[in-house]
Amino acid sequence: MVLLEEAAGNARIATATLRDLLADYPERRHLARELLKQEQDGDRITHDILHRLAENGVRSPFPSADVHALAGAIDDIVDHAEQTADSLGLYGVEAPMEQAQQLADVLAQSGAAVEAAVSGLREWSELGSRLVPIHQLENEGDRLSREAIASLFARGIDPMVVIRWKDIFESLEQAIDSCETVAHVLEGIALQAGG
Amino acid sequence: MSQSNAPIRLAVIDTDSGFVRVLAKRLESMSWQFRALEAPVPPHELVAMRLNALVLDVGLLGPNAWDYIERVGEGIPGLGLIVCTGRSTVAQRVRGLRLGADDWVTKPCHPEEVIARVESVVRRRKRSDIRAERGPLVAGEVEIRMDQFQAFVGGQNLDLTRREFELLQLLAEARGQVLQREEIYQRVWGYAMAHGDRSVDVFVRKLRQKLESGSPGWRYIHTHFGIGYRFQPEPQEGAVPMAERETAAEPVAEQPVAEPERSPSAA
Repeated sequence: MVLLEEAAGNARIATATLRDLLADYPERRHLARELLKQEQDGDRITHDILHRLAENGVRSPFPSADVHALAGAIDDIVDHAEQTADSLGLYGVEAPMEQAQQLADVLAQSGAAVEAAVSGLREWSELGSRLVPIHQLENEGDRLSREAIASLFARGIDPMVVIRWKDIFESLEQAIDSCETVAHVLEGIALQAGG
Repeated sequence: MSQSNAPIRLAVIDTDSGFVRVLAKRLESMSWQFRALEAPVPPHELVAMRLNALVLDVGLLGPNAWDYIERVGEGIPGLGLIVCTGRSTVAQRVRGLRLGADDWVTKPCHPEEVIARVESVVRRRKRSDIRAERGPLVAGEVEIRMDQFQAFVGGQNLDLTRREFELLQLLAEARGQVLQREEIYQRVWGYAMAHGDRSVDVFVRKLRQKLESGSPGWRYIHTHFGIGYRFQPEPQEGAVPMAERETAAEPVAEQPVAEPERSPSAA
């Protein structure tokens, strides 16, 4: 449980880092390195969780498959956030787009909601209400992402801009989707516990 | 059509005879000077052809494509290079454009689109050639030198990047006028601005920092919120003129110093 909370806390930090990176891009490029370190921390925590599950004699509070899925989904949030930051450097992005800043803001809120929801595993009564914002944010992310991608296909836009930003919008959306995957796994755990 | 009266000189390196034939027929009706090549030729031979643009199918070059693009880009700076080839990955297109290609068209494509892209590349290059022939533009304490793609304050280089220089030049030439972000992007980047793109704001910020650092006490670029930017050099109240700044700095340089040792060559 402590490790899952640590993973969710790391996801909150990583998504906030990406939001800050994009908000002032390119002024705080060094945040991309911090995000890489947070991604490595996430990998380590996930590895520890899976290692504990595999250890004989260590009892998990939930079915192992659920813990496995939960750890994987949390790790995916951080991976996609880091991939977004990496793409900014890889594609030589010179300036941000407002839609990417808005998506990163939604992602950061979603990352915080994931942390709150995972800690809700300790207080079952509050878990349901903590999952609602994650679904709402995912819907908001979907809307923003669709509009952002559509805006790239207006007439006369540099094809390089289209290539770069379509990839970046998609990885931001994947990170937000991973937050919803966490919510789905938590709902499954809650249903089993209730049944 | 090209802005100049001189016909565009174009070579196409491609073995797709159908594509080349259709393209040649269309170019003939436009009075372009056209040359079809079935294999890559060394850059020095391209120089001799005095081309404006080259359309290249990189598929003919295999793994040597990257080296060829780089050598053509570096060896013939005035040549517009348009890659027109079959399906490619994002990484390949990014690499090609970074190495020196001006544009990348994916086949199958309409010859009219290829022609429009060639015209666009040639137009951009001609614009930059014309700029280089003009004299310096002085605004406030800043001297903008088109021939050097650079700006100076009291002889000191402001160390502008190419993009920053083009932005400064555009704003300075429209002195006193408010230019909309979309127009600035279109004219500096050469494409329509995507909704939400912050490139203009980021580059104006960088340019302002360099101008204010080189010419403190002056304001050059003014923001019109929700619209764009206006270039108008204005000395700020209490600012020290450049000549006085230099005079103030002189005594430091004139401090008595020990006689330096003479080098053998100076003796």
